Amino acid sequence: MNGEDREIGVSDLRRVFWRSFLIQTSWSFDRMQSLGFAYAIQPVLKKLYPNLSEYESRLKFHMEYFNTQPYLATFILGAVARLEQERASSNDRSPDVSGIKTALMAPLGALGDSFFWGSLKPLSAVVATALLLAGAWWAPIVFLVVYNIVHIGLRAAALVNGYKSAGDAVAFNARYNFTRIAKQFKAISLFVVGGILGSLPAWRPEFRLAVPYPGIVTAGMGFSLTLVLVAVLRRAGSPVKLMLGLAALCLALAYGGVIE
Amino acid sequence: MDMMTFDLHILLSIVGVAFVGGVIGLDRTAVGQIMVSQPIVASPITGWMLGDVTTGLVIGAVLELIWVLDIPVGTFVPANSTIGAVSATAIAVLGSRGSAPLDRIGFSILLTTGMVPVTMMVDTLVRKWNSRLAETAVAASGEDAERKLAQAHLSGLLIFFLKSFVLYLVFLPVGLGAVFLFGRLPEKFHSAMTLFVKLLPLLGAAIVARKLSVRTLDRFLLAGFLTAAVFTLLFHVPALVVAAMVISAGFLGARFSER
Repeated sequence: MNGEDREIGVSDLRRVFWRSFLIQTSWSFDRMQSLGFAYAIQPVLKKLYPNLSEYESRLKFHMEYFNTQPYLATFILGAVARLEQERASSNDRSPDVSGIKTALMAPLGALGDSFFWGSLKPLSAVVATALLLAGAWWAPIVFLVVYNIVHIGLRAAALVNGYKSAGDAVAFNARYNFTRIAKQFKAISLFVVGGILGSLPAWRPEFRLAVPYPGIVTAGMGFSLTLVLVAVLRRAGSPVKLMLGLAALCLALAYGGVIE
Repeated sequence: MDMMTFDLHILLSIVGVAFVGGVIGLDRTAVGQIMVSQPIVASPITGWMLGDVTTGLVIGAVLELIWVLDIPVGTFVPANSTIGAVSATAIAVLGSRGSAPLDRIGFSILLTTGMVPVTMMVDTLVRKWNSRLAETAVAASGEDAERKLAQAHLSGLLIFFLKSFVLYLVFLPVGLGAVFLFGRLPEKFHSAMTLFVKLLPLLGAAIVARKLSVRTLDRFLLAGFLTAAVFTLLFHVPALVVAAMVISAGFLGARFSER
């Protein structure tokens, strides 16, 4: 078989893309996404290595330890597909496929965690919560749409960029400027959280506090209590502890006769 | 709810919630991460399934901000907010036989908060058990390698599903029993749980503010608060319009502050 026959086509990358949604299906502590990576890259390997023993050897090779942020794993899958193509299309067996996986998984993991988990997810959540508290029943749909337009778009773009650049993560990061956008998303999230607190007297009826004060006082009290909770959280409070503490406070207020 | 009503309808509902909850839960780790497993989506789905979408929306709104930044980094296994959200919704709705009152919603949320350490422990065990899947795939050879890889890898779907399914089958009857006892508690306890639900969004806001900023009083947080307060309280703009304005202003403000 000559080199031209071993070109990876759009359909092969598409199969890798869909399989990437299953990259964590067998996630374990010791090998993490190893089987997921091998499963996702398998259609490409099958096309590139018609020789059964070589195909099996490459498949086993990709079962090595692997872990990164699941969405940006597509960038590494694209890069590996390209390197495997180069490797299979010539007698040159030198492309360091393992090296590129090892070199990329940690930085892309940190980048993806910070961007997707640390900024896009809270942004989508606070936007949807703001709408929900304002009475919009369709807020969960907004959450899914906002989050997934960005997530699925970048997931696909990462695969194509990884393949075309053969793993140039610096260029990829420069192109999409994840760090700057993450910072912006965090600022917007904080602004919207502030907005949620500012409109407290107009929240949907289930959440309105039955207090005999003007709206501005109620909003001010809510904002102040939130800042107190922020300060408590800074002193090593966990969500579970805070929830239990809040329940205890409510019980104390009820039994103390403060609320009826 | 009295014990006499723990009937076939409830049993079927529990199994139905366990099945749907198990499928939704796959999104957390095993499939996609398109976020249908987040409380703000999972709770309304559960509520809708049981005929009380409002309770689902209330619980989703409350739990979303609390758990949104509890994230899976490295080997850290976060709290299973999906099981918490789905269980709280199912317990509140099934325990009320109709539209769930706020006190029952509050009690259900408190109850499922206590379940969080158990879900984390079981999630950890499943991830340890999954190591066997990799061993099976690695041990295969020849033509079997590809088939064994797919088989071992996709077995994870069943394992993650069964984990959630079984947990629901345990948690929901226990929770419904607790809600039955809750009905017999003094009125003050009920008032406390109603207040608990109303204060939880403030805790969620505090958790997000704490994790997104190093300052207790962040300038964006304060600006957002003032913007919404002025339009809500001074100009009496409808809540939904204020929400849309705040979101738009947040985008503009973030861009402007960069210059």
